[in-house]
Amino acid sequence: MAEEIYQLSATEISSRLAAGKLTSRAVVEALIARYHQLNKKIGAFTSLDEKDVLDQADASDTRRKTGKVLSPLDGIPVAIKENIAVKGQPLTCSSKMLANLVSPYDAHVVEALKSAGAIIYGRLNMDEFAMGSSTENSAIQKTFNPWDLTCIPGGSSGGSAASLASGLVPLALGSDTGGSIRQPASHCGIVGMKPTYGLVSRFGLVAFASSLDQIGPMARTVADCELLLKVLATPDARDMTCFDSTQRKQLPVAPEKSLRIGIPKGLLGKGVGAEVAAATQAAIDFYKSKGATIVEVDLPSSDLAVPTYYVVATAEASSNLARYDGVRYGHRSANAKTPIEMMTNSRSEGFGPEVKRRILLGTFVLSAGYADAYYVRALRARSKIRAEHLAALEKVDMILSPTVPTPAFKVGEKVSDPLQLYLEDIFTIPANLAGLPAVSVPCGKSGHLPVGFHLVGAPLSEHKLFAAAQLFESAHSFANQQPTL
Amino acid sequence: MAKGLDIDHLAKLARLNLTAEEKVLYSNQLTHVLTYFETLAKADLPAVSDVAMVVTEKALRSDEPGVSLGSDAVTKIAPASHDGQISVPRVVDDES
Repeated sequence: MAEEIYQLSATEISSRLAAGKLTSRAVVEALIARYHQLNKKIGAFTSLDEKDVLDQADASDTRRKTGKVLSPLDGIPVAIKENIAVKGQPLTCSSKMLANLVSPYDAHVVEALKSAGAIIYGRLNMDEFAMGSSTENSAIQKTFNPWDLTCIPGGSSGGSAASLASGLVPLALGSDTGGSIRQPASHCGIVGMKPTYGLVSRFGLVAFASSLDQIGPMARTVADCELLLKVLATPDARDMTCFDSTQRKQLPVAPEKSLRIGIPKGLLGKGVGAEVAAATQAAIDFYKSKGATIVEVDLPSSDLAVPTYYVVATAEASSNLARYDGVRYGHRSANAKTPIEMMTNSRSEGFGPEVKRRILLGTFVLSAGYADAYYVRALRARSKIRAEHLAALEKVDMILSPTVPTPAFKVGEKVSDPLQLYLEDIFTIPANLAGLPAVSVPCGKSGHLPVGFHLVGAPLSEHKLFAAAQLFESAHSFANQQPTL
Repeated sequence: MAKGLDIDHLAKLARLNLTAEEKVLYSNQLTHVLTYFETLAKADLPAVSDVAMVVTEKALRSDEPGVSLGSDAVTKIAPASHDGQISVPRVVDDES
């Protein structure tokens, strides 16, 4: 059993705090020590205000002494991705464009965490504006995979996944537009969920592709991930796509013997590595052994998912990122005499190569003469992909696949070939296009690198997905595993 | 479909200055990506898109004043401000 404080799950910390066996200050002090020992090596955190987090811990301990505990998360540190607003803290999106921006307000999820008494603990590195699958696109620093420091941690929530895997924090927030929570979760051997589109407010999440973006929980165990989601998933009128209190009813959890799991036809043929395929097959066999029915499902438009995603996401990004014009906040070029020069020079100096590439691609697919051929067709393909998934999920409780076709690759290996990097997201993208919840759960190793499997469910089936994930986790030793560092 | 990719025009629309090297790099990369997108052109797709995933009745809130950041907080994060206002380079040319 894990004994060091940094190895404890949030659920365990919560029960020790409740039993008076641990204080929030002791937890935070242990994590700060771990941060000093490891963060330079891993590069997960971009900043940590030590005095602030110790003050928050003391305030929590005082609440506990006076019987005013706010929730099971009271006194537990939660680290926040660089694209989620925390009042008074940097909100850089790991971009030079926002290098000096200090957020004047809290995101809805941060308000929710503060109301629950959680400690808002440091900022986590990411691909610039969440565009990438390796965290190599950060303008601040590189982040490395704690299981092999020569490999990428995945992305764009690479800082979140790496911080959890290396025991720097028990809980973290990520954001997921095409797999940015689940792909790094898989690569770092942790649990990450993208909730149903609309379950978690996007207020205070810096927009990348608004119809796809969701904030979600990341943790080392399924129970911790569920604990964190419960706090995040509350109504918020400031995000018009956020479900109100009448729209949040979860689908009932399926008893394990009547569980029906769909496996996409031809699944393991699509460039899936042998060890990833074997680990996925072992997960399928496990569910079968528990009495689940395994059904082949047909998703004929799966091949359209990656092109559809990169048209829709870049189109929305080119529009969302038009706001960075050097006027109201962010970088303003010192070399500009006219407003147009100010905008163009500020953007050219502030954005990194992948962001420019996606803005150009998005501008092209929306431009006169091409919008019908690309953007409008992508929207129609998106409808088809969603309809096929919803039809399949009428017949099964969830669809199982690998999270990523291959394990984490070497730093620098795919930098020069954007298309290769885009194919990392082949299994995770459909859930974003269709607005469905999905979770990545550790299920083995490929060599020394972790591998996860992926469960996608119908809208509002998070409880169902967590129950199935928990069933697997409880029977295996992959949860809360940590590399030797 | 990738025909017609005019990198200078795109850069102008996107308000980006590109170096000669960047123009070549991005043209090649975008052409490669757009070629991959051709599966979309060949696909049999529904005539219209219907991707509304959440109810839209509440798209507009009632027209009442709400809490906002206030001009101090806003000008504090602006690159340049003067007298509680954000300043920018001159927009209108002199008459002369």
